[in-house]
Formats: sequence, C-alpha cells, structure tokens
Amino acid sequence: MSFTNLSELGRSLVHGSLSDPEVLKGTGREPPIRILPNATVIKVGGQSFIDRGRTAVFPLIDEIVENLGRHQMIIGTGGGSRARHAYSVAVDLGLPTGVMSVLGTFVSMQNARLINYLLAKHGIPFIEPAQFGQLPHYLATRGAVIFFGMPPYTFWQENPALGRIPPHRTDAGAYLVSEVFGCKRMIFVKDEEGLYTADPKKDPSARFIPRISVSELKAMNLPDLAVEHPVLDMMENAASRRSIQIINGLEKGNLTRALNGEPVGTVIYAD
Amino acid sequence: MRALSPNQFDQRHHLDSMLMRESLLDRGVQQATETDREIVRMLPDTQVVKVGGRSVVDQGRAVVRPVVDALAAALPIHRLIIGTGGGARTRHLYSIGIDLGMPVGVLAELAAADALGNAHILGTLMSPHGVVAIPPAMFGHLLPLFIRSVPGVIFTGVPPYSLWEHPSAVGRIPSHGSDAGCFLLAECFGSSALTLIKDVDGLFDADPKCNPDARLIPKISTAEIRERALPSLPFEPILLSLLDGARLLRKFQIVNGRRPELIAAALAGEHVGTLVSAS
Repeated sequence: MSFTNLSELGRSLVHGSLSDPEVLKGTGREPPIRILPNATVIKVGGQSFIDRGRTAVFPLIDEIVENLGRHQMIIGTGGGSRARHAYSVAVDLGLPTGVMSVLGTFVSMQNARLINYLLAKHGIPFIEPAQFGQLPHYLATRGAVIFFGMPPYTFWQENPALGRIPPHRTDAGAYLVSEVFGCKRMIFVKDEEGLYTADPKKDPSARFIPRISVSELKAMNLPDLAVEHPVLDMMENAASRRSIQIINGLEKGNLTRALNGEPVGTVIYAD
Repeated sequence: MRALSPNQFDQRHHLDSMLMRESLLDRGVQQATETDREIVRMLPDTQVVKVGGRSVVDQGRAVVRPVVDALAAALPIHRLIIGTGGGARTRHLYSIGIDLGMPVGVLAELAAADALGNAHILGTLMSPHGVVAIPPAMFGHLLPLFIRSVPGVIFTGVPPYSLWEHPSAVGRIPSHGSDAGCFLLAECFGSSALTLIKDVDGLFDADPKCNPDARLIPKISTAEIRERALPSLPFEPILLSLLDGARLLRKFQIVNGRRPELIAAALAGEHVGTLVSAS
C-alpha cells in the first residue's frame, strides 16, 4: 500500500524504520508551530498553596481576576496532602504505580474544581483532558481555563527509578501543556521564593538561586528540588518551552510580575 | 490515621501519613517508598499480546487471518489482552502532521485514532470468538470486569499520553507508541507475559530486510542491546528503559506473526523468538 504526494521525509516515515536515526533527525528539522503563543500556563501548588486554604488562595484568585483580559491563563492544579495520604496508603498496600497515578489524578481534579468554583462567576471553565479541543475557544472568550495538573497517564504511568510514587505528576503535566501548545511562559506558583540550595523550611542556611540552567542544576545534584525531576529532562528535549519560572504566590504582585515577564522568583532554563 | 489540622508551626493543613509535610521531590522520601512490600498483581492469569500495526494488520488477509486463528485457538487456554498499533496510517499522519508543524503531543493525540481503528478491525475478526474491542475511556477501569466476562479483550495499544507525550530526544516521533502502551499495561496489571507479534523472527544483529547475512539473537538483555548499539530494533526503543524500571514484568518475547504456529508456543511460555530481559 502506498500514499502519493508525500515529501521525501514523508516517504521515509511511511516506508522506513522509525528507529532509523536519519529519519528521526529529519522529523525535527523544522520547529513545530506555536499553537497558543500568547497564553501562559500557571500551576498552582497543592501542598504548597491550595492546602493553606483561603489566606493563601483568595488573594491569588483576586490577582488572577485582575489579570483577566491582559493575559491568557491556562491554570493547572497540584495534588498536595490528600495525594500524599493516598500514596502512603497505596505504598503500604503494595498497589502498582499506575494505580497511584489514578489516585493522584482524583486529588488534583478536586483542587481544580475548587479553583474553578472560586472563578466560576467570571465564566472560567474547568476542562478535562478530553475537552482540550475547546481550550482555544475558552481562552479567546473567557481569558482563562482550569485543568487538573496530573497528566492523564493513569494505569500507563511509568515506574519511578526510585521508590513507588508516580514520577510524572502535576508539575510535569502542567509543563507539558505549556510545551505542546508553545505557550509564552510556564509559571509554578509555590510558597517559597523559588529554588534554594536546600529545603528552606528545614535548613536555615539554604541559599536562594534566582536563575540557573538545567545542566548547572543537575550538576549540583541537590537532594531536594522545587520542581519534579522529569521536568528538567523534558526541558532539555523541548521544542518550544525551554524555561520555567517558580514564584512565591503568597506575596501579592508576584504572579502579575511573572505574567509581565519580570524575573521574579527563580528562572530555570535549558541551555 | 489521625485527622487533619493546621499545626502551630505550619499553616498548611496536612493529613497525617508517612508522606505528611514531606517533599515528594526529596530523594530520601522517594527512597522511603522503595519497600520490599510485594506489589499487587491485579490480573496475574492474563497475558498481553501486541499485534503489530504495520507488521501484521497492514499486511492484509494472508497475514492477518492466520494470526487471528492462532489467537482464537489459544483463547480456551489463556486469557488474552490484545493491543494493536496504528501502522501505515499513523506513519502517514506523522508525515503530514510534521509537515504542518504539529508538536509531538498533537501527533500522539491524533495517532491514537489509527490504533483504535485497527483495534476495531481485529475486534470484528475476533468477535465470533467472543473477543471484544473496548474503547479507551473505560478500558483501564473496567478491564478486571471484561476479562472475567469474555475470553479476550482488544484495546488500542497506544497509551493515553496524548497531548502529554514527552518531547523526544531526537525529532518529533512520539516515544510512547503501542509497544510501550502494551508493556505499561502488562506491568501495571501484573499480567504474566508480554508477546509482541511482528513480521520478523525477532531481534537481528542487522536489519534482516536489508541484510541477508543478519543473524537472529535468541536472547538478549537491555544492557547488551545498549552496548551493541544495534542500528534498528523491531520494537520501540523506550521499552529498554521501561523494562529496566519494571517491578513485575522483567522480560518480553518477539515472535514472527508470519509463522502463526509459533504464537501458541510463545503463549505457552516456549522460547520461539527473541527474549529481551531487564538488566
């Protein structure tokens, strides 16, 4: 069976081997289009933010509303304490990593719906992965959408190299949305200024890092990190979204500054 | 477990658990979840079989019918979970999609439809044997029900990575195709074996379609495959890292669908193609 009208690359894709390095290289020769170049993906932390309740969440909601019309925002949510609870129950019972991924999805969905109800009066919808086809329309008409940060891998989540907890969680899921749509920025809203040399909640000598490359960060081999490790590998392979920003959402104005492109918090970039 | 409360040092509301107040990104915390606790095998009496898209389904009646007959003959003995790939239509989609500038996640999202089409093609042929093709939205959650209700099920082998496909190290071909989807499913559900039905006898030291002197490798580990840097693999390269990370499924076998008599033997656990094992 053959297809006509194909380019040379197209013919080698249809008839050749997908493990041929030359064919693979050819598929990356042209950069992909940027599907939503004016949008920013914002990930609101679960444990670090939403679990703090109204003192943290209400001012951030106000700031999101202030930026409606100025910035298109695709807002993803983390899991947090209930995800940790579910994971610890699951580890104790010997459940597979793929099942934990399903459980984590439920928690980040709850958080997405909570944020959704807080923004509902502004007409901001919540969308599931199956509804991402409507995302451009909602962004154009309402200026923002809410999604759950967990990538929809469910039972097909890979095992982690260490331990049992799903390696691709809400940081990775939100980041991948910013990469696939070629978005302008990826902002992680947490409860720390950004990246530190150690966990500032536990180590008072921890130093702040305002800007760092992925390779420098990997070379430091920090025991803990403000963002899921696989995000760093994904950034190195990324075609569009080659940097991310981590900000302290507890400080009023930080989200607006980050949306405006100011270097608040920590910027991590692929070399 | 005790109830939640904001404590005096930390305004966050926590639920008491082993992971409470911990960073899941901390290596020490990750290590703490590396227990020797046995992982539940949800469906230990099943086997996962991947029927190649391009290598089998696209080859038409002469190749497909004997494979279907061989799988049907095995149904009274083995509970089969059958996945398929997208084959030539997916290759065509990639070529047009890349030409139009689509990112890897969009290619992965759209390619799932080709594998689903092939799942329904196989589902039609195997329907007289009681095998049913199940839509992806309900497949994972209801698999334990379906596999007790019918002798075998068919699903789109492509995993639901969709827009969330990882950026590839080289180029823009989605790395998690139907081989990866079948592997991850077998690993998560604790199936006893994974068999990849392709159009070659197994893994060769050179591409047997181009090189008549290519020799079959009957048994090999992931480390040896990496060391020998074989130019072309008859399966998705990501299977190497998935296999090394697996806890339950530590090997898979590639068999030649053009020799359908080998399928029954492979499902019975005989070594009739190439066995690839974790390192």
